[in-house]
Order: sequence, then C-alpha cells, then structure tokens
Amino acid sequence: MADDAYGVGIGWRPEISGFVAGLPGLRFAEVVAESVHAHGDLPEGLPQLLDRGVTVVPHGVRLSLGGAEPVEPERVTHLAAVAERLGAPLVSEHIAFVRAAGVEAGHLLPIPRSREAIDAVVANVARTRRELSVPIALEPIAALFDWPDNELSEADFLTEILDRTDALLLLDVANVYANARNRGEDPLELLGKLPLDRVAYVHVAGGAEHQGLYHDTHTDAVPRAVLDLVAELCARHRPPALMLERDGDYPPAGELRAELDAIAAASGYPAIT
Amino acid sequence: MEDTWGIPGPTFLIGYVIALIAIAVIAAVNRKALFRGDRNARVDDLGPQQIAYLNGGDRLAVYSSIGGLRAAGVLGTGAGKTLVQTGPVPSGVTPLDSAIHHAAGNQARTRYLLEDQWVRAALDDLRAGLERRGLAVSRDTVKQARMWAWATGALTLIGVLRLFAGIANDKPVEFLFILIGVAVLTTIVLARTKRVATTAAITGLRQLRVQHGYLAPQQSPAYATYGAAGAAMGVALFGAASLYAMDPAFAAEAEIQRIAAGGLAGGSSGTAGSCGSSSSCSGGSSCGGGGGCGGGGGCGG
Repeated sequence: MADDAYGVGIGWRPEISGFVAGLPGLRFAEVVAESVHAHGDLPEGLPQLLDRGVTVVPHGVRLSLGGAEPVEPERVTHLAAVAERLGAPLVSEHIAFVRAAGVEAGHLLPIPRSREAIDAVVANVARTRRELSVPIALEPIAALFDWPDNELSEADFLTEILDRTDALLLLDVANVYANARNRGEDPLELLGKLPLDRVAYVHVAGGAEHQGLYHDTHTDAVPRAVLDLVAELCARHRPPALMLERDGDYPPAGELRAELDAIAAASGYPAIT
Repeated sequence: MEDTWGIPGPTFLIGYVIALIAIAVIAAVNRKALFRGDRNARVDDLGPQQIAYLNGGDRLAVYSSIGGLRAAGVLGTGAGKTLVQTGPVPSGVTPLDSAIHHAAGNQARTRYLLEDQWVRAALDDLRAGLERRGLAVSRDTVKQARMWAWATGALTLIGVLRLFAGIANDKPVEFLFILIGVAVLTTIVLARTKRVATTAAITGLRQLRVQHGYLAPQQSPAYATYGAAGAAMGVALFGAASLYAMDPAFAAEAEIQRIAAGGLAGGSSGTAGSCGSSSSCSGGSSCGGGGGCGGGGGCGG
C-alpha cells in the first residue's frame, strides 16, 4: 500500500487554487466533478496541477445515487468524461439524494437505512459503473436526523452497499464524528465495524456546534477530536490518501497549512506544505 | 483659371496625403522605439504597487495599496466616506502604504489621496524607480511622442490656408476638406498620447496575469487565504474589480471607482497602455491610413 499511497491531499477549489498550487508535496487533490467541463477548458489552475503529476479525483455531488429514480444518464456520462479528462484513477459520489420527482433539494439528503433504499442505491451505482472506466468510491454523508424507518445499523447498511456494488469507500472522518456525536454514540465503534480495507481515501473537514448539534460545515477548523479519530483510523488501517475538505470561509494560508500538517501528523504521512 | 499657389489640385492632394501618411508612419515608428523600454527588464520581482502603477497608473497603485491595507485589517471607512485607520501600520510596508495609512489618520477621502503630499511623493518615487528600470514611460518621453502632433498640426494649418485660398480662387475644395479632417484627427490622437508602461513591461504584465490567474475576480479568490500581499496583487493585476470582489461594502464606501477600473481593465489597454493602447497608438497611424483613404479622395480629385 505504501508504494501507491498518495498521502495528504486537499479539496481543490477555484477560490484557493493559488494556495493549492503552492503546496510543494501535494500528490492528491479532489475537484467537484460538476465544476469541470467535460470537453471545454479545465478550470483555471487545474491543468498546471495535472502537469505536476498531482492525481485529481472528480467528486460528484449531484448524481443523486440514493434517489428512488434512476440516475440521470447525462450526469453519469459527464462524470465518466471528467474522469477521463483528468486521468483520474477513480471517481467518488455520495450515498444521498439531491432531488426527488424533479424537485432539486440543493442539499445532500440522507436516505433511510432500509433494504429498499439499498436496492435503489445498488441499482444506481450499477448504472453509473457501466459508463465508468475507473472504480467509484461512495461517501456516506453526515446526517442531522435519522429516518424513523431505519432497518439496519449504519455499518451494516454501508457494508451491504459496498459488497453488492463492489464500490470503494470514501470515508469522511468528520461525518463519522458528527453522526456519532449527534446520536450519542462512540465513533470508534462505527470505525471498528466498517470495512477499512475498502477505503479509497478519506475526507477530513471542520465543523461547529450549534444548539447542541455538531454541524459538518466544511467552513470551520478541523476539531481536535476529528484529528484524533484520523489518528485512530490510521493506526487500525491507514488509507492511501487523506484530504482536507474546506468549502468556504477560507482562513489565512498559515491556518490551512497548519491543518494539513495536523492531518499529516495524525496520519503519519509526510507533511506536504 | 490659375492653379491655387501654382499647384494643380490633384497634385496638391496627392502630396498632402503622402505627407500625412509619412508623418503618421514615422510617428508610429518613433513612438514604438520611445515606448519600447528595456527588453531585459524583469517584472517578477516587482511589488504589487509597482505592478499596479504599470497596469493602471497612479490611481491603481493607490487602490492596490488600499487593498493590501484593508486585507491587513488596518484600513476602514468612517463618516462621510472618509478613510480611517483601524489599526497600526504593519511592519515592512511600502512608503505608499505608510502615506495612505497616514492620510487615513487624517480622514482623507480616496479621491483626494493623489493630492496628499506624502502619497504624491511616494508615487513619484515609485514611478522614478520603474523609469530607471525601463518599465515605466517617463513624462518626458510621452512629451517627445506628442511632438509629432506639431507636424500634423502644421499640415493641418497648410491645408486650412489652401482651403481658404482655394475658396477665394473659386476651386472645388471638398476632398481637401476631408483630408484636413483626417489631419485634425491625427493631430488630436498624437497630442493626447498617454502611456504608462513600456512595451517590455506590458509583455511582463501579461505573463504575471497568467501566472496569478487564481487572483482574477471571476475565481472568487479567498483573499483571507492569499493575505494582504495577495489582495494587493489582485488589485494590481485585475483592477479595482478585485477590491469590490474582496470587500464590496468597503470598496463602495471608500468610493473606489469601478468604472475607472473597468476603463483600466479594458483599457489597461486604454490609459495604462497594455496591448490595446499600443494598438490604439497604431490606431493613430492607421488613422494616417485613413489619410490613405483620403488618398482615394485624391484619386477622385
């Protein structure tokens, strides 16, 4: 694993592309798939990153794999085309739905952990994989609420989806932390039940507490507890890549570098700053 | 009927057109040489305010400094749209930063900064340094380039005298009239020559804009991440639009002129003279080409 490990990466966003370009040790980044044209110009700054040999993985947010209806074919085609353009070794998407009956939620919404929902996800992942020439990694989302009709535990739900789709896991450590904390559970317990050898890479993001609930905001600093969870995860089974996912309210470069260094320290990978 | 001044009309018109074109071409060649600058001059070690000056003159240099000071959190706006200090001047700033920060201590308004003596002195130093390096066009050089307006002005005068003589002599003067118009236009273009950056600097700026493409306002750059230097550089390379992207409320309160910036951006071309300006100079000469067009008139004559 060590040979093809990427180490610490970062979510590439146009707002911080100059900062990302200035990370000397960077080998792994993720770009929001929907922000990349399948055939037009690549976003400013991305070609230089690819030229440097940085692996850039397209991360879909609008496929709605968890929707009851089939994924929209043109969205799948786009994701596949972007993966080819970037020469990405894999793509990723969420286990969530973003639209239902034509209504766009504008958010990633959690799906009930039921057999029926698993069937829908599995069918959609199969439809998506038919067009993809690379593997897909699935990311469970942070949920502020649980559906009342959950039949399975989170670990069983995810494991079954991964088994039946042969997909990889994109584990968001901050989500694990957020869900466990908001449900009053132990995040380590979930980690212990997940197939960690299937983790393609890991998201590390910040969050904040509001009115007793922990929100996975991606616009705040990464809390110590999340970094501790990263360390625990890596002690059990270190994934090939871990990346900082920051989506707004970008802090000064020094703070971003410190977060990347903290992830490097927690995971044991070399610092990329 | 005798030829006016003993020169037949068509002969005069053709001679007039040739003279007009000749002056325009020589002026264009001359200004190209005047504005060339030092081809080996480098721009990659310049600070944001120097780059801003080359890109948009005094005003953009001031805006770039304002952008840096604002990003550093030491500049704000007060009552009556004045600038105010919101913190002590950071260490390691440029003389222009100090001067603007000082002026903000006296509640100066942005538009009057260029009249502040310390700001003025800092800008003059900044420009002189750039002139020495062959990056900025000196005022004397601009004056020299404008000298050619005297030549076309003289031609205009000759044309006008001939026009009156022709009218007095009861000769047709329509084509001459058109040519005089062309000569007047050429004179105006030449006399209003403006140029801040040398051709060498413009080439360098173009590279810097590509290199720092992530600071373009359409990328919605995270100015907090890029810091004060990044904010100042964004304004320097992409105009006052960067200030509005960074802090719209402040930019509006501080009366940062977006239109001027737009004029600079499209006309970083125009005034400051990136490619657009140089082409608008050759626009002057192509105006002479318009004289050639009058040559068509000469044909008719």
